[in-house]
Amino acid sequence: MIEIKNLTKVYKLSKKQMQERKTKNNFKKAADSVSLSANKGELYGLLGPNGAGKTTILRCVATLLQPTEGEITVCGFDTVKEPENVRKSIAFLTNEIKLDPQFSPKFMFHFFGKLHGMDDSTINKRREMLFGYFGINDFQDKKINELSTGMKQKASIAVSLVHDPEVIIFDEPTNGLDIVTARSVTDYLKKMKEEGKLVIVSTHIMSEAEKLCDRIGIIISGQKVAEGTLPELLTQTGTNDLEDAFFELYKEHNVEEA
Amino acid sequence: MNGMKQIIKKELNRVFTDKKLIVSLFILPAVLVVGMYFFIGKMQTAMIDDIENHISSVYIQNEPEGFRDIVEISGFSANIQYMNEKEDVTEIKNGILNGTTDLLVVFEDDFLNKVENYNAGGNIPDVKTFYNPSEEYSGTARNNFLTQVLGIYQQQLLIERFGDLSQLTAFTIDAGPEESEIVDNEKATGKIAGTLLPYFITLMLFSGAMSLGVDAITGEKERGTMASMLLTPLKRKEIVLGKLFSLSILSSLSAAIYAIAMIISIPALLKNLTGGDQEGFNLSFTPVQMIELLAIMLSLVFLYVSIVSLAAVLARTAKEAATFVSPLMIIVMLAGMITMFTGNGVRQLITYAIPVYGSAISIQDLLVGELSLAKFGLTIGGTIAVALILVALIVRAFNSEKVMFNA
Ligand SMILES: Nc1ncnc2c1ncn2[C@@H]1O[C@H](COP(=O)(O)OP(=O)(O)OP(=O)(O)O)[C@@H](O)[C@H]1O
Ligand SMILES: [Mg+2]
Repeated sequence: MIEIKNLTKVYKLSKKQMQERKTKNNFKKAADSVSLSANKGELYGLLGPNGAGKTTILRCVATLLQPTEGEITVCGFDTVKEPENVRKSIAFLTNEIKLDPQFSPKFMFHFFGKLHGMDDSTINKRREMLFGYFGINDFQDKKINELSTGMKQKASIAVSLVHDPEVIIFDEPTNGLDIVTARSVTDYLKKMKEEGKLVIVSTHIMSEAEKLCDRIGIIISGQKVAEGTLPELLTQTGTNDLEDAFFELYKEHNVEEA
Repeated sequence: MNGMKQIIKKELNRVFTDKKLIVSLFILPAVLVVGMYFFIGKMQTAMIDDIENHISSVYIQNEPEGFRDIVEISGFSANIQYMNEKEDVTEIKNGILNGTTDLLVVFEDDFLNKVENYNAGGNIPDVKTFYNPSEEYSGTARNNFLTQVLGIYQQQLLIERFGDLSQLTAFTIDAGPEESEIVDNEKATGKIAGTLLPYFITLMLFSGAMSLGVDAITGEKERGTMASMLLTPLKRKEIVLGKLFSLSILSSLSAAIYAIAMIISIPALLKNLTGGDQEGFNLSFTPVQMIELLAIMLSLVFLYVSIVSLAAVLARTAKEAATFVSPLMIIVMLAGMITMFTGNGVRQLITYAIPVYGSAISIQDLLVGELSLAKFGLTIGGTIAVALILVALIVRAFNSEKVMFNA
């Protein structure tokens, strides 16, 4: 379903960005020859520290960024050659992408349903289902800028799923949510997986990765340094839990930038 | 195309469900324009009324016999003080300088005798009027005194001398009943309107597009709501066109409101400028002219929206967008202003294809009924061509991750 081959993404830095980062390099390699594949019915997790390149990789998959090198296919469609087809089959959630604050969750849901070419009755059925599940009905007519962080996140999740996509890509989906709401989100992701969809999440929360993901890819400084199920990762590193495994890999691979 | 329709619907919805936006975009400008013109009009009327209502204070020294009767029947209304030749006028002259006194009229000694005993080549007796041309009241008082009193008095004295004054008239000028001013009223009005209107129209259309465009594009980029649209299966072109058309609709609407406000208030303004004579002011269009004007304005709106949108999409923040757009606005203002100074001289046909300038001179020609089909075609063609180039650039910008995600 998702096939990433040797993905390298280089950001060019402006003079100002170079100053801010105190670096003499005018580029930043955010993803470095990353390859991975994930299939339907699977919940794949990208685990890595801040700035590791998780969001960059997921944005490339979601067609928002183009790979500097390498290629990505989603459901058989190349992200550069057929971006529209890729976008039809994915949901993408990341905290920099927001819903229009002046509209209600209901309006936004309908709007994006329409942009995905859905008819009114299908949109309404999906809305009843998703708004019911995430408990959005109570505030579905309020303006988004009047909602709390958690309410906004729930609305964003529901809206991103309007077209019932085959692939769900969520960048830190539980960011800013309390444990109750976070649990309802992770439960829903498991449910999606059981329905045969491919779910990819990124996180830096060890416990979440441990409990949620079938397979975990560990990203450090733009490179995928290890991959496998939880037991596989523990044997590879000779440790007892994910946190220890992560620190082993971190010590080995975190190279200070020149 | 469905996606484009949805985006237009959403953009219009965004504006029309926001009371503050409606007020600031549509109601406030209209109120301001009408209010401003009525205020200017009122000020002018008040000034004219004030001068008319002012009772002039006039001193007349050494008036000849019978002059008081002349003043009495002349209808010259003022607070008049008569004085004899011995009285001192220094105080009065000071008064004129300070604006407390309006006019001092001094007749020569033995005035009437000198007039009656005049022989060819002799001394002509003099009436001196002391006034202050920098004071409206004083100037007006003198003018009225000359035409209403002294003019009549002189006629009367001449009649006494010659009997029939016709002898003194070699010929008359424009005395017959036939109107001698050969002027097409519509064209005359068109000329006034033609110098001002294109300027106002270009300016209003641009400022409408500016405030809306920056928010709808740079604002959305900043807020992160644009990206959610880029994640839908829509082609970038559809998103761009959806944005541009909704912006065009909104700016046309705000321009229309400005225009209506101006049409309501211009008569009030012109009434004072033309001294209450409104006869000459009738702007009427034939249906063809109306369609041409509409087409020119719509193409112009689309061009402005494209200019603003390109700047807005390239800018990273709304503040940056404002700094990009301001110089463009000055260029547009200059192009519009050129028409105010160049008049309706003969122009090379090809100049009509220059965007903004071409539209301004076309509107000017249209108002005086001289817009040929070739000029019209070139204007529209030039404007649309440039707008389409800009649209292509905007689509490219939407496809660029550097521009959209600063990556
Ligand atoms: N637009 C950009 N221009 C330049 N550099 C960027 C840009 N976006 C990200 N980077 C850099 O690329 C690297 C990877 O960033 P990315 O956002 O992918 O990390 P992440 O793993 O998602 O981190 P986090 O857990 O904090 O979200 C970082 O060093 C970041 O500073
Ligand atoms: Mg991130």
